[in-house]
Amino acid sequence: MTLTIKELSVSFDENYIIQDLNLELAPNEIVVILGPSGCGKTTLLRTISGLQVHESGSITLNNKRIENILSEHRSIGMLFQRPVLFPFKDVLGNILFAYKNKKHSDMDAVHSIMSEMGLIGKEQQRIETLSGGEAQRVVLARALLTNPELLLLDEPLSALDVELRRKIALEIRTILKSRSIPAIHVTHDPKEAEIIGDRIIRWNELQHGEDDEE
Amino acid sequence: MKKTLGRSVPVFLYLSMILIPLLFALERLMFVTGMNPFQAIFHLDEHPLGTDAIVFTFVQAILSAMLTLCIGLPIAWWLGRYQWKNIGMIRAALTLPFVTPTVVAAMGFLALIKEGGLLDSIGIDLRNETGFIGEFSSIIGIEHSGHIIALILAHAWFNLALVIRFVEPKISTLPPRYEDAFRMLPAGHNRLNRLISFWWPMLKTSILSAFVFTFIFSFTSFALVRWLAPNMWTLEALMAVEGGAAGIPGYRVDVSRLVLGGATLQGIVLLSALGLAGRWQQKQSNEIELVAEGYSRNYVGKPRTGARIGIFMATVFALTPLVLMVLASVRLRDRTSDSYRWSLDAWDLAFKGDLTYASVPEALTNSLVYAFGCLILSCLLGFFVAQTIHSLEQQNRPKVAQFIDVLSMLPLALSGVMVGLGVLLGILKIWPVMFSWYALPILPHAMLTTPFVVRILLPAMREIDSDYDDTGKILGYTSIQRFTRIKLPLLKPQLVVAAALSMAFSLGEFGASWILLRSGAWDTLPVLVDQLMSRPKYFEMVEPIAMATATVLMCMTFLLFVIAERFRSHQGGGF
Repeated sequence: MTLTIKELSVSFDENYIIQDLNLELAPNEIVVILGPSGCGKTTLLRTISGLQVHESGSITLNNKRIENILSEHRSIGMLFQRPVLFPFKDVLGNILFAYKNKKHSDMDAVHSIMSEMGLIGKEQQRIETLSGGEAQRVVLARALLTNPELLLLDEPLSALDVELRRKIALEIRTILKSRSIPAIHVTHDPKEAEIIGDRIIRWNELQHGEDDEE
Repeated sequence: MKKTLGRSVPVFLYLSMILIPLLFALERLMFVTGMNPFQAIFHLDEHPLGTDAIVFTFVQAILSAMLTLCIGLPIAWWLGRYQWKNIGMIRAALTLPFVTPTVVAAMGFLALIKEGGLLDSIGIDLRNETGFIGEFSSIIGIEHSGHIIALILAHAWFNLALVIRFVEPKISTLPPRYEDAFRMLPAGHNRLNRLISFWWPMLKTSILSAFVFTFIFSFTSFALVRWLAPNMWTLEALMAVEGGAAGIPGYRVDVSRLVLGGATLQGIVLLSALGLAGRWQQKQSNEIELVAEGYSRNYVGKPRTGARIGIFMATVFALTPLVLMVLASVRLRDRTSDSYRWSLDAWDLAFKGDLTYASVPEALTNSLVYAFGCLILSCLLGFFVAQTIHSLEQQNRPKVAQFIDVLSMLPLALSGVMVGLGVLLGILKIWPVMFSWYALPILPHAMLTTPFVVRILLPAMREIDSDYDDTGKILGYTSIQRFTRIKLPLLKPQLVVAAALSMAFSLGEFGASWILLRSGAWDTLPVLVDQLMSRPKYFEMVEPIAMATATVLMCMTFLLFVIAERFRSHQGGGF
């Protein structure tokens, strides 16, 4: 298994947002979690990535317990609901943020991924001028360049119109499959879930420890 | 724990730097008067000018803050809203009054209102209150109303930059789509509704903060009161003039009572005002996504005619007293023939330094050394204080955060002279060897400028979306890397502004330097101007030499601001 979550619980002010959650992810598998807004999907992804402290339970990634490892050392990529781009950098500068040391930048890989994402020619473009779809492509390119062992997608397409959302969902699936990157995608759009996922899990089923396939 | 401790050290250092001198000064005054500071407030009316000074201090400060907002808000709106050519130059010109040494500002305004001055020549005699102003005075029945008008106008001129600096960035960095979205709603269809229901909530905190800070500066103004309203007394002016005799056991105890009571009252009023401003900012702070300022301006486009005229008039208003000061350095009066001639003789004498301990180049070198030292110290301390307050707020400890916030603003509740006296009485008492330390004035300069750094950086830190830091973590950046590669670049515009302001304030700081400079070889430019202005004017070149020296100071300040503004606008994404 790529990822195994056992008995995971997360609480805010003594209220449980997640309680005894279990989830398993096969190698290269893309799992979609379907659930209404505010149910705790984002909290789950933030806990897996290490941005949120958990109360109990275990998270194992590629046979290594990671729940007590800092998020910067977990080798997990994440796309947020709103594309987070740094306003003081242009498109290329934002993509190069994938490299902590610029001297180690692999410009061939950068060029290749930009080409794959349709970003060639936009290197010097200011991020304020990008459309929502373009901005998410930049964020995805940056995340992929870090070679994550797992990618978490927190409704990154929710702000896009339906047609574009489904088009980009398909692109994301193709790219993840071509690179064999496992992913957890959360959304409340069943159609988007069908396009992108190998397996769809409803939030309420997950919460009861039943990791059922749809 | 290690992180908290690391952050606490600079905060502790800064708070000690403020509190130790203050406590020593308090202890001395309490010993001399035999009463506590609060008791002394109730003895203020025993001084013949005490009650009048209190009333006038409040009235002129409130009126000054109101007038400053009336003039400053349209300017901030036009500047933030439209795309201007040479915006850096316009901003620097409008900011210049605020960094003008108060003595120089007073001289510039005096040149404007004096008999035979520009305003007098168009029938507005604010000095002798004849003609239209005289009639106005008799109608409203207030004595010296011409002087009061001049003072309030000078305060509005001096504090204009505060309104612009607080309000303009809010307008220029707000994503245009927010307003677009509001326009689509029924409540956003007309301009008045948009103003009340959209722009006021968005700008409220900045406007109220600008009002409070203008009030504070007008409340503690001294040089402008002394020169422009010589028959009126504010608490600050009264304490400064009488204060020379304070703190001496058995000698004029009434003066020590006045200084103790006046300083306490002043401290209470100013701390309350600062606390209020901090509270508003904390309540209103929310994570608003920001865009590069150029983007918002490009979206709205070029200014309309009204805006162009408004900005032109504001620039003329900001520059006129300074232009008059420059003219006074080259327009020399010949007493024998009672005529004027144009000459650079005063500049020649200023650079030779024959009338003073230090020449202009020597004083300029001293000023720059102190300004660089102040920049480094105040930006470092200010950053860590702001960072600590912000962290405490994020940890849901608002009361501790507000306590440190208000304490860090304490120097704003003290005048330069009081800070200088505090350092003299406090730190030098513990470590007298500092008397011979050339860099000593950096300390009070940093005390006076650090609150500005905190005030500039703290709102900016509050507005940084936490997703940026989270993204840094996800990308594998350590906390130091996130600080240097994400947080600092995000704060760069505010850091540049804070650095420029610290340096400019230090260059123009007068009160504390005047008290602490123990050797003529250490004289700064403002101290040199004061030395010259205090000399008897039998030699007609004295005043022009002072004006030439002040002009050098102005040019340095102006240059500094233009560089800062250019640096800011030339970065990618508008930063």
